[in-house]
Amino acid sequence: MTAALTCQDIVAGYEPGLSIVKGATISVATGEIFAIFGPNGAGKSTLVKAIAGLVPVTGGSVYLGETDITQLPAHRMVHQGLAFVPQTENIFANLTVVENLDLAAAIMKVDRKRRLPELEALFPDLARLRGLKAGRLSGGQRQMLACARALVSRPRVLILDEPSAGLSPKLVEVVFSRLREVRDSGVTIVLVEQNVKAALAIADRVAVLVDGRERLQAAAADLRDPVVLADIYFGHARQVSA
Amino acid sequence: MLQLITDGLIVGSVIALGAIGVTLTYSLLRFANFAHGELLTWGAYLTLTFLGVFMTVSGGGVMQPIGPFSFGWQLLAGLLVAAILTALIALAVERLVFARLRRKGTAIVLVIASFGVALALRNLVMFTYGGIPEYYSREIQIAIRVLPRDVWGGIRITPDQLFVLGLTAVTVLCLHLFLTRTTMGKAMRATSENPDLARVTGIDVEAVIRLTWIIGAMLAAVAGAFAGLTVQVRPGLGLDLLLPLFAAAILGGIGSVYGAVLGGLIVGLGESLSVPLFGAEYRAATAFLLLIGILLLRPTGIFGERP
Amino acid sequence: MDMLLSFTSYGVFFLTFAAIFAVIVLGLNLQWGFTGLFNVGVAGFVAVGAYTSAILTAPDYPDSLGGFGLPVFVGWIGGALAASLVAFLVGIAALRLRHDYLAITTFGIAVTLQLVALNARGITGGPFGLQFIPRPLQATLGTGAVWNAAYLAMVLTLLFLAYLALETLTKSPWGRVLRAIREDEAAAEALGKRAFHFRLQAFVIGSALMGLGGALYAHFVAYIAPEDFLPILTFQIWAMLIVGGAGNNRGAILGAFAVWLVWTLSGGLIRSLLPQAEQARGASLQIVLIGVMLVAMLIWRPRGLIGETIQRPDKPK
Repeated sequence: MTAALTCQDIVAGYEPGLSIVKGATISVATGEIFAIFGPNGAGKSTLVKAIAGLVPVTGGSVYLGETDITQLPAHRMVHQGLAFVPQTENIFANLTVVENLDLAAAIMKVDRKRRLPELEALFPDLARLRGLKAGRLSGGQRQMLACARALVSRPRVLILDEPSAGLSPKLVEVVFSRLREVRDSGVTIVLVEQNVKAALAIADRVAVLVDGRERLQAAAADLRDPVVLADIYFGHARQVSA
Repeated sequence: MLQLITDGLIVGSVIALGAIGVTLTYSLLRFANFAHGELLTWGAYLTLTFLGVFMTVSGGGVMQPIGPFSFGWQLLAGLLVAAILTALIALAVERLVFARLRRKGTAIVLVIASFGVALALRNLVMFTYGGIPEYYSREIQIAIRVLPRDVWGGIRITPDQLFVLGLTAVTVLCLHLFLTRTTMGKAMRATSENPDLARVTGIDVEAVIRLTWIIGAMLAAVAGAFAGLTVQVRPGLGLDLLLPLFAAAILGGIGSVYGAVLGGLIVGLGESLSVPLFGAEYRAATAFLLLIGILLLRPTGIFGERP
Repeated sequence: MDMLLSFTSYGVFFLTFAAIFAVIVLGLNLQWGFTGLFNVGVAGFVAVGAYTSAILTAPDYPDSLGGFGLPVFVGWIGGALAASLVAFLVGIAALRLRHDYLAITTFGIAVTLQLVALNARGITGGPFGLQFIPRPLQATLGTGAVWNAAYLAMVLTLLFLAYLALETLTKSPWGRVLRAIREDEAAAEALGKRAFHFRLQAFVIGSALMGLGGALYAHFVAYIAPEDFLPILTFQIWAMLIVGGAGNNRGAILGAFAVWLVWTLSGGLIRSLLPQAEQARGASLQIVLIGVMLVAMLIWRPRGLIGETIQRPDKPK
C-alpha cells in the first residue's frame, strides 16, 4: 500500500516560537479514510491547516505521494492534488451555489460542463439549489457544497476539518455516507473529528493527537472499544497494534 | 441649481475613481490606506512630466488640441505612462512596507505605516516638482451651453469636463465587466470575502493583492490627472481629496465598487450644493459631515454588508 | 560668554518645546499605546486647546470673539476641557466601529478644524491667527531668559504631574481593562457597551492632554496661526510615540525629546547647508526622511526604544 500523504515530525503554529503542533507524524494510505481525533486544544485543526498551507510549518515535512509539498503556498497545494475544506466559512456566501463551483472550476482550469454534472450526481441537493446564494444554505447543504467545491479539482487527497460540526446526527450520517462514496470514487480522505463515534464508523484508520503530538495510529476497528479510546484521550498511553 | 449639480458630478467622478481604489484595498487588505491620496498626486504629476516628454518628442513642445478639448493626444499618452508608473509606485510600497507588516502585524499598524508613507510620498512630490501649481494646458476653453438659462438656471459645461464624465463612465463600466465576467475579477471578489478559502480554492492571493494595487493605483492616476485637468496640479491635490475619498468609500459601503462610485457622486454633489449654503471656504467640510452622518445612521454604508 | 548664553537660551527653548510635545505624546500614548485607539487628528485637538486658551485669556481682540482676560491657568484648563468635548463628540460617532473608522473620523475632524481656524475670522482670527496671547507671571518675571526658564519649569512640572497621573491610571484596574480591550477583541465584545465607555473615557482623557499641550504652546510662543496645526504636527507626535515605544509612558516622553532633537538638528543642518532658494525642498526631504524612519521603526523595531514592559499574559516570551 502506498502512502498518499505523509507528515514527518510536523511543527507548526500561528506565531513564531509558539508551536501548537509539536512534532506530529502521520501516514495516510491511498484510498483510505483516515480520522484524526484528540481532546480540545490538541492541535488537530492546526495540523490539517498546516498541511494545507494555511498555517506556517516551522519544522518537519509533508509529502503528497512522493512530492515534498511542505513549503508550497496553499494555492499551489490545490494544483498538486490536495484539497481542503475548512471547518467554518467554507463557502463563498455572497456567490450562488453554482458560482461557487464555477469559480473553483475556472481557477483550476477544469471543464465545468463535465465536472459539475458529476458533482451534482454525488450531491443531488446541490443541483436543486444551483441559483441560491450560498449564504442562505442550511448547515448540511453548506457542508455538501464545501465538499463539492473542494472536489472540483479532482484531488487525490481531500482533507476536512470537522465536517460534522453543528450538524444534527441524522445529517452527520448523510454527510459521512457521501464521504464514503467520495472515497469509493478514488479519493483519499483525511478528517479531523470530535464526533468519534460517527467517524469510527467510516474510518479505516485513525490517529490520536494529544498536546500537539500523535499518541498513536491504529486501525479504526481496534478502537471501537470505548475503554481503549478513553485511556488514550486521558493520557494513559497504551501500545495498540498499528 | 442644475449648474451646481453638473459641477458636483464632475468633482464626484474624480472622487469616485479614487474611492474605488480605497474600497478595493480596504476590503481586500482590511486597512484604510492614508497614502491613497498621494497616488492621485503622483498620477497627476507624472502625467505632467510625460506630457512634457511627448510634447518635446513630437514637435517642439507644442500640443495641438484634439477638437474642442484643451489637450492633444500627448496628454492621453502621458496619462497612460503615468498610470503604469503609479501602479509601480503602489507595488513598490506594497512590497517594501505593507507586505512586510502584514506578515507580522495587525491591520492598525498598516494604517500608521500608510500615514508615514503618505507623508514621504507627498514630500517627495514637493522635493521633485516644487510647490507651485501647474496646468496641463493654457488653452482657454469655452463652455458649451447645454441647457438655456431659463430652465432652472441652465447648464454650461466645458468639453474637458464632458470628457472627464465620459471617461469615468467608461472606466467604471470596464471595471464592472472585469469583476463580473473574468476569472481574475471573480477571484478578486472571492478573495476579499474570504482570503483563506480563496487560497484553498487555488487562488493565488498574493497575485490578487498585486492586481488590486495595480487597478487601484491606475484609477488613482486617472483621477489625479482629471483633478489636474479640471482644476490644477499641485502637491496638496491628493491630501485634499483624501477625506472625500474615504467618505465616498464608507458611504457606498466598504468593498462595493458601485457603492464607491455612487458615494463619490454623492460627496461631489454634496460639496457642490453646500457652497451656496455655507460658502466656498467650508466646501471641504461637507465630506466630513456626510461621513459623520453615515457613521451615525448606517455605518455599513449604502451597499455594505460588514460593519 | 555670549555663546554660552545663547546656547543656554537655545537649550531652554528646545526643552520647553520638547516637554510640551511630551505632554501631547502622553495623551496619544493613553489612546493608542494603552487602548489601541488610532487618532490621526492630534493636530486638531492641540489646535482646539491652543485657540480656546488664547481666547479665554487674551486681553481683548478688537474684531473677534476672544479677549476674556481670564488668568492663564483658567485658559489651560479651558483648553483641555474644550479638546475633551470635541473628543467626546467624535468618540460617540466613531468609537463603536472598527478602528479604521476612528482613524478616518479623526482625520476628518482635524481637516475640518483646520478649515475653521482658517476661515472663522470672528473666532480664530483667520489666516492671521491670534496674537498677544498673555504669558503667565510676565509682570513679575519680565520677558527675558528668566521668564523662559520659569515657563520651562512650569511645563516640566505639568509634564511630571501628567506622567504621575497616567502611571497611576494605567496601573489601576481601569488601565488593565483598557489593555484587555486592546489585546482581545473577544474580551471587548464580552464587555459590550462597557467597552465603548472605557474607550470613550481613554479617548477623552488623552485628548484633554493634547488640548493642554496646545494651550501650553500658545502661551509660550504668544502667537498662534492655522499653519501651526497642520497634519505634519500629527505625524511628528506619532513619530515620537512610535520611536519612544507605545504603551510605556516613559517611552512616550523619551520619544518626544529624541525625535524633537533629530528634527531640530536636521532642520538646522538644512538651514546651514542649503542656499536660501533650496530650503523649501530641503524641508520636504527632511519630512521624507522622518516618514521613512517611522516606517522602518514599525518594520524592524515595532516596540520602539523602550516598549511596553508588561507581558501579555497569554503569550510568554
